[in-house]
Amino acid sequence: MAMSNEELTKELFTPADISHAASEKLSSEVVSAWKDAFRRLFRNKGAMISLVILIIIIGMSIIGPMTSKYSADDQSLIRSNLPPKVTALSWLPFLNGKENGVDMYQERGVKQDFWFGTDTLGRDQWTRTWDGTRISLLIALIAALADMFIGVVYGGISGYFGGAIDNVMQRIVEIISGIPYLVWVILLILILQPGLLTITIAILATNWIAMSRIVRGEMLKFKNQEFVLASRTLGAGNGRIIFRHLIPNSLGMIIVNTMFSVPNAIFFEAFLSFIGLGIRDPQASLGSLLSSAYTVLQLHPYQTLYPGLVISLLLICFNILGDGLRDAFDPKLRR
Amino acid sequence: MGRYVLKRIGYMFATLYVVITLTFLSMKLLPGTPFKNANRLSPVQLNQLKHFYGLDQPIPVQYVKYMWNFIHGDMGGSFQFGMQPVSQLLMAKFPVSLDLGFEAIIVGTLLGILLGIVAGLHRGKALDWGTMAVSIFGISIPSFIFAGILQYLFGVQVRWFPVAGWSGFASHVLPVISLAVYVLALVARFMRSEMVEVMSQDYIVTAEAKGLSTSAVVFKHAVRNALIPVITILGPLTAMIITGSLVVEEIFGIPGIGAQFVDSVVTNDYPMIMGTTELYAALFIITMLIVDILYGIIDPRIRLSEGGQS
Repeated sequence: MAMSNEELTKELFTPADISHAASEKLSSEVVSAWKDAFRRLFRNKGAMISLVILIIIIGMSIIGPMTSKYSADDQSLIRSNLPPKVTALSWLPFLNGKENGVDMYQERGVKQDFWFGTDTLGRDQWTRTWDGTRISLLIALIAALADMFIGVVYGGISGYFGGAIDNVMQRIVEIISGIPYLVWVILLILILQPGLLTITIAILATNWIAMSRIVRGEMLKFKNQEFVLASRTLGAGNGRIIFRHLIPNSLGMIIVNTMFSVPNAIFFEAFLSFIGLGIRDPQASLGSLLSSAYTVLQLHPYQTLYPGLVISLLLICFNILGDGLRDAFDPKLRR
Repeated sequence: MGRYVLKRIGYMFATLYVVITLTFLSMKLLPGTPFKNANRLSPVQLNQLKHFYGLDQPIPVQYVKYMWNFIHGDMGGSFQFGMQPVSQLLMAKFPVSLDLGFEAIIVGTLLGILLGIVAGLHRGKALDWGTMAVSIFGISIPSFIFAGILQYLFGVQVRWFPVAGWSGFASHVLPVISLAVYVLALVARFMRSEMVEVMSQDYIVTAEAKGLSTSAVVFKHAVRNALIPVITILGPLTAMIITGSLVVEEIFGIPGIGAQFVDSVVTNDYPMIMGTTELYAALFIITMLIVDILYGIIDPRIRLSEGGQS
């Protein structure tokens, strides 16, 4: 109503001042793809919680065994099958050192506490659990390195050069991947003796296949693009193009896939140790701890609890972190 | 299509041949003898035993012999079961493992598809979050831990189901669940992202625009298309079920191939190990073949775009 009375005259308007500098200014700060990815990752609560838990587990695996005066194979039947006890927290029902209402520590005359209890041979579960965690983490590291070095280089060469080289390399991969992972690993373990070295070789031999395929795909995608042509025109050699241009471009995919192959490798080590083909006594691994704890599961269930908890946490956290990284590096995939 | 299938079958036999040869060679590289009390036997006795089992012949001769017998369905005799034919032992135990594997795959896939559809339709809501949390747990926690938890809770504490064994419905429940959890988690995850993808397609908008009811849109248009790629994870699933069955059979004392295999490894029962390895490889390779062919039939674009290449 009020509007219709007033005329909109030209004098009411003043021209905005034209400043070229202002129109060129970006409203927000410049963010590189990497920074953007990490910002997305840090905003992902699940991934951050997982990262913190992983850091705690890694820290415990380093300092854990040092805090106990017993090494992983100190045996004594006097203190066998003791339930967990933490004196400061003994009001908690599962940390009071009692089994079926009887304080096992008093009965056996054991003075000090075993935070995670002891196993059938009286070995400190605290030390053994963190020792086993070390093995799992070591395997994780080896798997990641195998992915990074063998997988990336193999896939890179195969995809970049193409033609006959690619053909031969892909046939080899096809044969390797046509046979189940389990069969390869078991054959390798039978020839060599079960142990950490054998598992390492098995992982080095088979773990990189998926990565090599992904890197090959990335190479095929990028190698005919203009920036490669430009680089070649400027006189760059094949090695420089692969390692300075193509691989940095696919680094996001490489990191994400490494994160997914790590939990697989951890699981596989635990699985092999569980069925007796991996780490064997007296060395501790989360898998072998679980398998010996299962034999007394009905009597002393707490022996299963902590190794099971640690390996489950490790795998869950690595998987969630992997998911977070994938979402961060490739928002298109986030659904 | 015919050429494509033939080519795939050709590849399958080539891979199988490689597997058999590799298994044979690695068995020959094994340390130790297969005879139980080898150190208590005199060299003469040992030689007699080796001669009896044909282990004293040159390796190429053994290889040709093994292949010849293999083609005729004879995989040798098991050392730990008094030379009972391996093929016979495998055939006796395989159905049990197959039973377990199939039950787990069926239960896991059906529930997984259902959960995936529900999560995909309620994207970003509590239902979706819940399903994805279950799925992350299912994928991460190893089957031997699930098996242990279930065995302790429902077998030892509440005693609803038998702790071990393989007779009757009740004894199937726990092992099948512990294997199916992984299948469920993987399928649910995959199905969810496929549903989300499909629901944003133009043909769904069209279907909605022409006034179809929600259930018709979801079941006639969305689910059907979302199901196609789910077939591709059948391959990795089979491999996972094989791995899982080894430990689950061991934990629940199921008389299948998995538990048998672990025993064979410990006792150096070469023919049995070879037989089981070959069986696993064949199972895996055949599943991959079926998946490829199924995929070609359901989605003709795959075949055309690949131009018969693998």
